[in-house]
Amino acid sequence: MQVMKPVRAAPDSISEKVEKSVKEAQEACSDDPASGECVAAWDEVEELSAAASHARDKKKDNDPLENYCKENPETDECRTYDN
Amino acid sequence: MAVCSAYTTQSLNSTCSISTPAKTHLGFHQKQVVFYRRSSKRGGSGSSSGPCVITCSAGDSQTVVIGLAADSGCGKSTFMRRLTSVFGGAAEPPKGGNPDSNTLISDMTTVICLDDYHSLDRTGRKEKGVTALDPRANDFDLMYEQVKAIKSGVAVDKPIYNHVTGLLDPPELIKPPKILVIEGLHPMFDERVRDLLDFSIYLDISNEVKFAWKIQRDMAERGHSLESIKASIEARKPDFDAYIDPQKKYADAVIEVLPTQLIPDDNEGKVLRVRLIMKEGVKHFSPVYLFDEGSTVSWIPCGRKLTCSYPGIKFHYGPDTYFGNEVSILEMDGQFDRLDELIYVESHLSNISTKFYGEVTQQMLKHADFPGSNNGTGLFQTIVGLKIRDLYEQITSSKTAAPLEATKA
Repeated sequence: MQVMKPVRAAPDSISEKVEKSVKEAQEACSDDPASGECVAAWDEVEELSAAASHARDKKKDNDPLENYCKENPETDECRTYDN
Repeated sequence: MAVCSAYTTQSLNSTCSISTPAKTHLGFHQKQVVFYRRSSKRGGSGSSSGPCVITCSAGDSQTVVIGLAADSGCGKSTFMRRLTSVFGGAAEPPKGGNPDSNTLISDMTTVICLDDYHSLDRTGRKEKGVTALDPRANDFDLMYEQVKAIKSGVAVDKPIYNHVTGLLDPPELIKPPKILVIEGLHPMFDERVRDLLDFSIYLDISNEVKFAWKIQRDMAERGHSLESIKASIEARKPDFDAYIDPQKKYADAVIEVLPTQLIPDDNEGKVLRVRLIMKEGVKHFSPVYLFDEGSTVSWIPCGRKLTCSYPGIKFHYGPDTYFGNEVSILEMDGQFDRLDELIYVESHLSNISTKFYGEVTQQMLKHADFPGSNNGTGLFQTIVGLKIRDLYEQITSSKTAAPLEATKA
């Protein structure tokens, strides 16, 4: 049986990494906001957020209905109606 | 077709053996084949001679190298997809290789992500307290050596930076393509790499727009909030201003994205004002213009012939100077709602290097789901893609002109 996952967040492991990195950055910056550790921590957050976004896009591309409709746009399931 | 020239110290009538040097640690192959004469003790005429050297260079390799610079989350991927689409075919990661590879390969183009030249992985950067934006985190010597090698027709083993794990993975083989695109934070930072580029583009996103785009990108992630997104941008800003932003003065084309001026106090970042800043005097590149090249033109296409919905579309074109260089700037503020607006605008632009009427519109429609497909970002990215195609065809036709003449005769 197919399990339908919402196509909103990135695969769990990357999402968890993002969440963890944000917490770590907030801790690192609580001591000294101008330090190298703080800046590097937020850079890591940025890198992981970008990776999460790419993973989300990749997952979107693997939607079976979308893939089928790319090849067969004239079938009933795939017809779109624009005013 | 390869051209080989042989240099000998004396005639090759003695036994020679071929030795091909092993790959250097930098991962590129020597182009020289060295013949060693066996040290047979023959009579008086056997004077010691040095080795004979044959140097080969792949004469028909004319990899055109394009550089694309932008901060993270600023549309490089979208630009890459549009660019490879102009040349035909979809760009995909190398088949059968590392699934986390950043490289994209299509028929004509190979796109390399410069993050692969990080000298420090994520842990290393954390320890040293440097960002990926810092030059200390990147190996520019390797970047230069490998781009130079690919440009001259030699395949290289390029490292892979895995964005998921944050580690440097084992290298992958990159064969010289017709067009090599190097995209990332620092394509124009190192002077030697800059000199290898046939064309360079910088995506300059203003702070307000960057903030709006990152919110759109990151709010779906449960770890993020408005504050964390803001904090991340601000923490990276000093390094960005110091190392990345200065590259824009070297770019042949800059796509500058600003908030719209058509809607007062707009902070949603949905309607954008986009400026295509094109350097004058670049070889094989003739800037796009509106109506009359070199003059200053303000144009609102919406009126009697074309009806647009709010907030409409406004164009501006004119010469200017940018960091001391002569440039031409084409600017679009607003968005396209309908197909006929797009084709109307296309029909009034000149020097867009299309191969048929409506090619820009067709390309934009093909990727209507890409971000920016209804405003200047998509339009100018598509046009720059066509200019790069034009540049590539000019370069390759000028290089093959001479041999072609010979074969005809």
